[in-house]
Amino acid sequence: MTTCDKIRPRLTTYLDGELADDHGSVVRGHLRECADCRGVARDEAALRDGLRLLPPVDPPGSLWAGVHARLAAAEVADARKPRWRRTAEHWARWARTARFTPTMPQLAAASVFAAAAIALLTVRAHRADEVATPAVALPDGPREQLLRPSPSTARDRPEAEALATVDVTADLLAEPARTTESYDRVVGELMTSAHASRAGWSAEFRAAFDARVAGLRGEIERAGRGRQAQRLQGSLIAYLQHAIIGDGMMLASGGSQ
Amino acid sequence: MEMLYHQYKRRVFGMAHRIVGGSDAEEVAQEVFVRVFRGLAAFRGDSALSTWIYRLTVNAALSHLARRGRRNEVGDDGLTELPAPPVTERDSALAARIEKALGQLPAGYRAILVLHDIEGLSHEECAAILECRIGTCKSQLHKARARMRDLLGAHLADRNAERKDSGGTP
Repeated sequence: MTTCDKIRPRLTTYLDGELADDHGSVVRGHLRECADCRGVARDEAALRDGLRLLPPVDPPGSLWAGVHARLAAAEVADARKPRWRRTAEHWARWARTARFTPTMPQLAAASVFAAAAIALLTVRAHRADEVATPAVALPDGPREQLLRPSPSTARDRPEAEALATVDVTADLLAEPARTTESYDRVVGELMTSAHASRAGWSAEFRAAFDARVAGLRGEIERAGRGRQAQRLQGSLIAYLQHAIIGDGMMLASGGSQ
Repeated sequence: MEMLYHQYKRRVFGMAHRIVGGSDAEEVAQEVFVRVFRGLAAFRGDSALSTWIYRLTVNAALSHLARRGRRNEVGDDGLTELPAPPVTERDSALAARIEKALGQLPAGYRAILVLHDIEGLSHEECAAILECRIGTCKSQLHKARARMRDLLGAHLADRNAERKDSGGTP
């Protein structure tokens, strides 16, 4: 027997028409029998309709002027910042927006590499201390004996073997395709915004825009799907972004970065 | 830049208005557009442009509330500044009560109701904006509506009775 406690959490999804048919049938069946749940459903439907019918709120006319004033103030503040701070912020922004997001195997591999590097440096430092002690002659003997790992590197061997079993190759190979697909999506979106902005452009700029976009697209097509194509897609994205926000200096340089 | 502003100004201002209230909405909306214009060149398309702008809006509004320590109230000034709704008087009264109840919700519940029920965004879009799972988004919406039902209680029952009298479907 279905209980009210099980049905009520599903009412929101049911009323929004997002519950699968078989589950919807169970909820409908319960609502026919249970007056309390019917009341809750009626209230929730009235609330949902009331929220949907709330009138839109018009922004005040001063909003645009306020945005302009803030942008101008931010640019003045940028100009007053020392160069080192601008550089630090630039790299911080780059780090935040960088496309590379390490996966767990990549993080694990990086940790193992770091551990191995620390171990290696420790061993070398230890050996350097030993070499620094005077009058120590290297024994004669086979090369393999001289290169025998120290106990500490032998301890690292299981970690190195674990690293060998981590399959990061497939993930890394798929990365260029993911990046290209992402660029394609952004170009599509920005083209839609650019078309919306066209009405405000001069005929001369429209022609220059079309020519530049067609030129870049031709170059992308000729470059195939490799790194050069991604660089060109980056140029196209930068050109479209600056065309939309009306950055005259950038457009005059042809959108190259 | 201006076209982008005109395309998103109503939604950005509307979301800010309903999350932080009428008196601070303009300040939040200005902050959002400044972040959009200054960050557009660095936008790499990890999500749709609209999702990115709405995420900036919700984050700016919630941060603003946190700074002001106004998590649970919008204030009556927000209601008085609302334009006259082009609906019947009864609908208008319910709308005002809903706006007031919305202002009494915790900020997180308010954000999900504004995005899903008022702005009409899908659960997928809401989840992308709030950076949570779709299941979490649905569960938050259910809890937010339950809290709203508690706050509105008798008013919703009156509304249902009016609907029944006028032959409307529940």
